[in-house]
Amino acid sequence: MEVRVSMEPLFLAWSSCRRRRFQRCADICSQLLSESPCDQAAWSLKTRALTEMVYIDEVEVDQEGIADMMLDESSIAQVARPGTSLRLPGTSQGSAPTPAVRPMTQSGRPITGFVRPSTLSGRPETMEQAIRTPRTARPVTSASGRFVRLGTASMLTNPDGPFINLSRLNLAKYAKRPNLSKTLFEYIFHLENDVKNALDLAALATEQAQFKDWWWKVQLGKCYYRLGLHREAEKQFRSALTHQEFVDTYLYLAKVYQRLDQPITALNVFKQGLDHFPAEVTLLTGIARIHEEMNNMTSATEYYKEVLKQDNTHVEAIACIGSNHFYSDQPEIALRFYRRLLQMGVFNCQLYNNLGLCCFYAQQYDMTLSSFERALALVSSDEEQADIWYNLGHIAVGIGDLTLAYQCFKLALAFNNNHGEAYNNLAVLELRKGRIEQAKAFLQTAASLSPHMYEPHFNFAMLSDKVGDLQSSYMAAQKSEDAFPEHVDTQQILKNLRQHFSTL
Amino acid sequence: MSSVSQELKDTSVASSKWLDAHYDPVANLYTFSSCIALSDLHGDGENKLVVGDLGTGVCNMKLKVYRGTGLLSESTLLDLPTGMVSFLMDLHEPRTPAIAVASGPFIYVYKNLRPYFKFTLPSLEVNPLEQDVWSQAKEDMIDPMTLKEMLEGLRDKAEIPLSVRSLRFLMLEPQEMENFVLLHKEQPIRRQTVITCIGTLKKNMADEDAVSCLVIGTENGDVYILDPEAFTILYKMSLPSTPTLMDVTGQFDVEFRITVACRNGNIYILRRDSPKPKYCIELSSHPVGLVRIGKNVVVGCSHEALHGYTQKGKKLWTAYLPAPVTTMALMDLPTRGFQAVLVGLANCEVHMYRDKNLVSTIKTPDVVTSICFGRYGREDGTLIMTTKGGGLIVKILKRTAVFEDRDSAPGPPIAQSIRLNVPKKTKLYVDQTLRERENAVAMHRAFQMDLSRLRLAAARAYVKALESSLTPMSASLTEPLKMNAVVQGLGPSFKLTLNIQNTAACRPVMNLAISFLYDENLYSMKTAFFKIPLLVPGLNYPIDTFVECLSDKGISDIIKVFVLREGKSAPLLTAHINMPVSEGLALN
Repeated sequence: MEVRVSMEPLFLAWSSCRRRRFQRCADICSQLLSESPCDQAAWSLKTRALTEMVYIDEVEVDQEGIADMMLDESSIAQVARPGTSLRLPGTSQGSAPTPAVRPMTQSGRPITGFVRPSTLSGRPETMEQAIRTPRTARPVTSASGRFVRLGTASMLTNPDGPFINLSRLNLAKYAKRPNLSKTLFEYIFHLENDVKNALDLAALATEQAQFKDWWWKVQLGKCYYRLGLHREAEKQFRSALTHQEFVDTYLYLAKVYQRLDQPITALNVFKQGLDHFPAEVTLLTGIARIHEEMNNMTSATEYYKEVLKQDNTHVEAIACIGSNHFYSDQPEIALRFYRRLLQMGVFNCQLYNNLGLCCFYAQQYDMTLSSFERALALVSSDEEQADIWYNLGHIAVGIGDLTLAYQCFKLALAFNNNHGEAYNNLAVLELRKGRIEQAKAFLQTAASLSPHMYEPHFNFAMLSDKVGDLQSSYMAAQKSEDAFPEHVDTQQILKNLRQHFSTL
Repeated sequence: MSSVSQELKDTSVASSKWLDAHYDPVANLYTFSSCIALSDLHGDGENKLVVGDLGTGVCNMKLKVYRGTGLLSESTLLDLPTGMVSFLMDLHEPRTPAIAVASGPFIYVYKNLRPYFKFTLPSLEVNPLEQDVWSQAKEDMIDPMTLKEMLEGLRDKAEIPLSVRSLRFLMLEPQEMENFVLLHKEQPIRRQTVITCIGTLKKNMADEDAVSCLVIGTENGDVYILDPEAFTILYKMSLPSTPTLMDVTGQFDVEFRITVACRNGNIYILRRDSPKPKYCIELSSHPVGLVRIGKNVVVGCSHEALHGYTQKGKKLWTAYLPAPVTTMALMDLPTRGFQAVLVGLANCEVHMYRDKNLVSTIKTPDVVTSICFGRYGREDGTLIMTTKGGGLIVKILKRTAVFEDRDSAPGPPIAQSIRLNVPKKTKLYVDQTLRERENAVAMHRAFQMDLSRLRLAAARAYVKALESSLTPMSASLTEPLKMNAVVQGLGPSFKLTLNIQNTAACRPVMNLAISFLYDENLYSMKTAFFKIPLLVPGLNYPIDTFVECLSDKGISDIIKVFVLREGKSAPLLTAHINMPVSEGLALN
């Protein structure tokens, strides 16, 4: 092979690393290391490149595992006071829209305009619900799950085995060398996902730095957080903040408090952060998210607007404000926001889906269906396709074409067998056709697939009431009341049934 | 058990009409309004509280007497008390009232808190045929099975109902019958009824301290009036149903009126000189409480309403309550000429009604099950309540308390003045409507064209889904099935539950089979094909099977489930199961 003399290889590697060509950087470094195995610069650069390839922002990654949720040691009060907990559904301060207007997630919060790890999954009430996996698998603990998959994925790409053999590493030796230890730590933490070794290294290194290096304290906090030792993590982050004010540290600290279900403290942390870093977008977003999770939509929207003042291309803020407008009966404004997203280059199926719905409800009919057509063309998974057909079903119901609606809902179910809403709507259509048995079966399925929805229970109550099965009707109405206590129609049917039961 | 007394002092005391005299949440008193009375037991001018405590309903039935805040005495009752009254039975000095406790077919009369007399209800006529059958059994002429058949025949046809013994015998399992017959055949058959409610009726004077007769209602629908001294039956009346609540007024020798609420939901009014009810009030739901105020009857019904009726059964008014009624009692304050109805509600409140107007509300720490108002100790206006949790609450009416009568439903409903949160019309909206108005035709055309294309696309996709049976419900008319699959488990073993339901109206489906399609490198299943049983319409059939994940790489795949019909290659329906990542191996 002809070797062309060009740039100094290490410089070239460093340059490609800076240009985010990590694979190339790693390759060059491997070559360098094969020539001189003790080249610390090349070794360090390669670790960095490998880490960057799989790096995920630690602030954003958060997935509560089954073990964390079901075997929660840090929860004190089973019934928290209203407005102090993220876990209790229905702790709204009155500003939140009702589930009749805005659909709920399983945890009893209105759905948000932006999918985040924590918005995906509600808190299951029973172990059975927790281990049932309708859509995405929930990891056993927060230490496994996504991280394991990432770790194993990196192993798969490397057939010769890992670059660094952790079991043979003398951590104490590396801890003494600050130039190597930081990259090594990130490698262990992000690529190998070996939190225990990473913690050991961080502990040794912070000792070497005489407990004065804020960076190591933050890393220690991250390790403790991953291990589920939230109070220790809190201590480390607080200590790091005394050495050095840093936005990231505030974010980590707030994340710890959110995990400990102390949203008010988390908000205070964010506000402290804002004192030092005025108008910092990530901090503002954090505040907005907490307000949103606590069903306080007005405050959340205010903070998202604040975010947009600082960064007018913030996708999450635009999407959340848009969805809030959509659900507060102003689809024309929502349309504006979604169009803005489109102009910014966000080009995906979900956005077109939302645009289509907004156009329909804002009476801009000419653009409605073409948006959905585009969405269908951009589909990347069956679930997305199911959602589009479900929305088309709604449009069809809106224009009164029930045959089309029936087909659309059935298609939604064909693509996603666990679409509880589609089952519910299909049941209503079946009922209109007079097929009571079918409708009953669909409603029961919908209720079992999405126990957080009140609609299937309510519809079942109505249906049973009509066919004269008052006992079933009463039981279903009670379930509906549990899911949505303020629902007037449910109250009405319960009242009627109670009267029916007590009359002679 | 030591009693904890507690003085409740809160800010509302000043504005309240009641003084909190005593509250003992662990008094261990379980009783109803029919078993509670205030009476000057010792003739010392100080009223005691007498309670027939139901205990747990099986044991610990006691007759308890309270003085002030303390328990004065308690004596064990043999059976569950159904009613208790205090009455003056003679004219001897000192005038100490007796206590009559009704339980089962007996009335136990206590004087000076000592057992004094036991009255037993007359036994009822026994069906002669039943007597015959048992005498045959006694002489071993028939075996228990024949006895059972004959008794069943009697039960269905005879006008006189069977005795308790025969009914008990019919409930037994065949192997227990022999012993039962051997044990009981020697004794004669008796038919006994039980007392359901008890009241008192003044004998011949209207005075406060006049001699009273006992009035009892029984399970078989009779009302007896007993002589206070000899305990002989003075008068017997019969009702069409079993009485549950009773109110008595008047004097036996002059004119009296007995208002009885019955188990069939009717209220009957009985009068002197007529052994049958004079008037009948048909209620729309079961009565829970019955109180007479002056000449009117107030009934609390199970559908959360309070009705007022005249003595002749004419309806006067209805008041709707916020919660079901638990108990009712009369509040009578003769010194002030004030009468009201106290209604205990299931939402931990006691409402005071004067006619249909709510005059006062008392909040209680627990649901009240019995209320008694009257003179306790030396205090005239004392309200005594016991709670569901066994607590005892004593409140004293303030002498300054004034109850204002006001109509409870003035003006329009509150909902009228609540403004709806209608979002404002934005400028954007106005602009868009302008656009809509200007380009109406073009927009309509575009929409219609898009709609036709959408219909076509939907129909195509639908036909494709139907042809390859992609939907989780089958479209065929002969086998209307529906399936949904649930995965449970953390891996590497998963449990698949297939919920299959036949949604036909009445036809069962049979000859079905299930097969799975999956990546054999990734998953393994013990049986990837099996038959399913006959599916009865309307029932959900959960079918479990187990899947093993073979990979430790943290990869997952889709498993397809087909429901097949014998002799047909195309599946009836398909379900896709998104398998979760196996955590079990990854964690090790």
